[in-house]
Amino acid sequence: MADKEKILDIKDLDISFKTTAGVVHAIRGVDIDLFTGETVAIVGESGSGKSVTMKAAMGILASNATVNRGTIQFSYHHADGSPATVDILAQPKKWIRDHINGKRIAMVFQDPMTSLNPTMSIGKQIMEGMIWHFKTPKAEAYAKAVDLLREVGIDDPEKRMKNYPHQLSGGMRQRVVIAIALSCNPDLLICDEPTTALDVTIQAKIIELIRRLQKERGISVIYITHDLGVVAKVADYVNVMYAGKIVEKGTVDEIFYDPRHPYTWGLLSAMPDLDTADERLYTIPGSPPNLLYEKPGDAFAPRNRYALVVDDKAEPPMFKITEDHYVASWLLDPRAPKVEMPAELKARIARMKEEAAKHGGEL
Amino acid sequence: MAKKQPVLAAAQTAYVPADADFVLKNVDGALMLDTNFASQSFWKDVLVRFFRKKSSVLGLALIIIITLMSIVGPGMNAYTYDGQQLTQKNLAPRVQGLENYGIFDGSETMHTTSGNKTVNNYVEKDLTDVYYWFGSDNFGRDIWTRTWSGARVSLIIAAAAALIDMVIGMSYGLISGYFGGRVDMVMQRFLEIMNGIPRLVIVTLLLLVLEPGMLTIIFALMLTEWVGMSRIARAEMLKLKEQEFVLASRTLGAGKFFIIFREVLPNIIGPIITQVMFSIPTAIFTEAFLSFVGLGIPVPRCSLGSLISEGFNAFTTHPYQIIPPVIAMALLMFSFNLVADGLREALDPKMKEM
Amino acid sequence: MKKYTLKRLFTSLFTLLAILLVLFILMQLMPGSPFNDEKLNDDQRAALYAKYGLDQPVLVQFFRYVGNMLRGDYGVSYNISKNTPISQLIQTRLPTSIYIGGAAVALGALMGLILGLIAALKHDTVWDTLATVISVIGVSVPSYVFALALSYALGFRLQWFPMLYNTQLATQSSVLPSIALSMFTMASIARFTRTEMLEVLDSDYMLLAESKGISGPALIFRHALRNALIPIITVLAPLIVDLMTGSLVVEKIFAIPGVGSLLVNAIQSNDYNVVISLSFIYSAMYIAIMLVVDILYGIIDPRIRLAKEGD
Repeated sequence: MADKEKILDIKDLDISFKTTAGVVHAIRGVDIDLFTGETVAIVGESGSGKSVTMKAAMGILASNATVNRGTIQFSYHHADGSPATVDILAQPKKWIRDHINGKRIAMVFQDPMTSLNPTMSIGKQIMEGMIWHFKTPKAEAYAKAVDLLREVGIDDPEKRMKNYPHQLSGGMRQRVVIAIALSCNPDLLICDEPTTALDVTIQAKIIELIRRLQKERGISVIYITHDLGVVAKVADYVNVMYAGKIVEKGTVDEIFYDPRHPYTWGLLSAMPDLDTADERLYTIPGSPPNLLYEKPGDAFAPRNRYALVVDDKAEPPMFKITEDHYVASWLLDPRAPKVEMPAELKARIARMKEEAAKHGGEL
Repeated sequence: MAKKQPVLAAAQTAYVPADADFVLKNVDGALMLDTNFASQSFWKDVLVRFFRKKSSVLGLALIIIITLMSIVGPGMNAYTYDGQQLTQKNLAPRVQGLENYGIFDGSETMHTTSGNKTVNNYVEKDLTDVYYWFGSDNFGRDIWTRTWSGARVSLIIAAAAALIDMVIGMSYGLISGYFGGRVDMVMQRFLEIMNGIPRLVIVTLLLLVLEPGMLTIIFALMLTEWVGMSRIARAEMLKLKEQEFVLASRTLGAGKFFIIFREVLPNIIGPIITQVMFSIPTAIFTEAFLSFVGLGIPVPRCSLGSLISEGFNAFTTHPYQIIPPVIAMALLMFSFNLVADGLREALDPKMKEM
Repeated sequence: MKKYTLKRLFTSLFTLLAILLVLFILMQLMPGSPFNDEKLNDDQRAALYAKYGLDQPVLVQFFRYVGNMLRGDYGVSYNISKNTPISQLIQTRLPTSIYIGGAAVALGALMGLILGLIAALKHDTVWDTLATVISVIGVSVPSYVFALALSYALGFRLQWFPMLYNTQLATQSSVLPSIALSMFTMASIARFTRTEMLEVLDSDYMLLAESKGISGPALIFRHALRNALIPIITVLAPLIVDLMTGSLVVEKIFAIPGVGSLLVNAIQSNDYNVVISLSFIYSAMYIAIMLVVDILYGIIDPRIRLAKEGD
């Protein structure tokens, strides 16, 4: 495989939902891309459209969703090694189920308490995908499932195969969900807030597990999260999402050390850390907009301390900073007044850099 | 990463920013106001959802119409519900005005083994000035008047039974759920036993002991219907009693019954009302069933059930006698079910929308 | 599971006993003892009392009564068929009623399941509306209205089926009453299936199953239906009660020689002994059905089957 091969390329995705309250324009022109073997994180508050974007890539959008525009190009290799690229949005549901879901793109959901079928033993749930896609003989599927359970760190896998979800703890269940996701050797793993519903002590273990599996299997991973701490640990690239749009994207270093969008500043400032004990923890004022009511201009403007007059009139374009780093904010326009990030954040970034240098480059 | 050059945001906003636009708004003060709250109150939302559904509006309209008719209907003509005119029995429906169009003209078709023949008893008995809008029954009583007064009786029975079992079932469920532990254990075992006895058996046995009549029927319905209500109230109580507002109230020293009836009750009124709406058609049905079996309202008073029971005796020869009460009852039950369904969905929109 | 079953068994027995107690008390309260015949003198009456154990303490009488009822010795009828043992009266009637009732349950459950499934899978389409309208009509219109309509249209006018029950043509005669009785069951099951299915289809584990690539019947039957069916089983028991109630009237309309029409006759002719015996039979059947349903529920749902003992 040539390096820097693109596996997923989402372009100008635009999705709305018909709800009883009206039409909700949830995704408003999203571009995301991901290279083989790399990890991209999508960060944003709840309701910013992170999960919806990825559900679109899986072909599991709710029935009241309409895709207005955009393409989701997914590249994979046939069994004989020949490459192929498809636009998932253009494929019928049945084709996606048979060729993409589970087999090439797998997903880990947020809440392991509800994402496992309560009336099916976990062994059956792991084996089901293999038998479905590859007609794997039962004995072989069983052996593979046991191996998978061991691989995701579950003790006594033979015994666990017979268990039902309610007999396992939350952390264990999430490991089972990961085992299910890996059962058909997917090329791409989408993790939708995989640790949000878990205890803090378990969170780190699950993240570590996903990282290890990614390294061992060479798969690409998309991380959906609102936790910048997780992002720093796992991601190569970061997409910051707000109100159905990407507002800033770049490498993890660029986002953490050279953030340009006021929203990213807010997210970084709001991240608790040990060294800021004497300062007040920063929060982004207000709450995410209700996408039922679209307003012209920049959706973040009402919560932005650095809002410009133009923000209420026109939506900002993507300004290019470096080859990887893009920001959608009028502040980057040459005509805009020079605005610096808050001093507290500046100090914090300096501290982070220091820390990173001490620990050898990693954030 | 190959990327598109910066493009203007959206095609529809063709606004080209001028230099003057690039100044800070400086709105630090306004930032702290969160204007993004739910735009309407919970109950307003419920009402909007309820009235958006055509079926619930239809149901509500039907209930109102039938209720109004049961109040004014019996007074709309000169007949009374028990007035008998033995010379004018078994007359088919006849309505002023409509009779000229070939419908409701008082004629009926008799199906006999020798074939069908159409007769008009008004003409044959020379009753030119007599009109029975829904026809008359075997004793020459006006079916229009009897249908609406029957609907009145049925509605009163149903509403009374539903309200009483709401009070009993709700209190039982709330108390059982709130106190939990041994109280709950004992109360739930008792409920299980009550629930283990078929409704049919309770009602029949009760009516063996008591005199048939409106109060007895209400009592019998009350005895059998409270179980469902108490289950709902208990489940809601179990859900709510661990919530912060109840804990807060408890730490502030509120009494047990204050918490049960003033803190929790207002929060579960939605499911309770829905359950009442569902238990009304059951009550109407049970009353009709009892009348049919002969344990209903004593004659000459009538309910929808007793009217159907009377009509049944002649329903192959004079089918028009059974049709009005049957339709009235079916519509009543239908509309209460529609309203209950609409209410349930309006109160608790189950489907996630994104 | 063992504990759960035992608990349910115990509750059922206790309920049965409670019902027997109520029936026993009612028997004592009822006017007209069988031995109040004026032709009897005191000695003869005392002899009869001794023979039937009526001179014993109440508690002994009660247990004797319980024993008799459980053995199927219900005493004799007074009014309907003088001095005929009740067990003999119901001997032929019970199978007829069970046959029609059973057919109605099977038909209703099957049709309801199909209707509810269609409504849920075709959510928010014409099919959904149609299925919903059918089911609302089904729960709104009492079974005897259906019975009347069917007997008038198909029995009286078209004469496709016998209008009144004919023992010679048991199968044909059972069609109309079974359909009439099944309407309520069908409608309730359809409504319940629809809501349960919609909830299950909306669940996270269905999303996971879909994200695994499972589709078509496997998705619906293996993942959705099984989870939706568990709660549906619990409404079957209460529905059977409604069916019993409905059967009384439907049996009267079609003149079916079943226990339902017997009970109606007994009520109308004040034959207390028959009423009480039939009440006992109805209760016993209902309790047995509830017990079976609950145990079945435990077997199907692993959350109950594998619950830790003592939960």
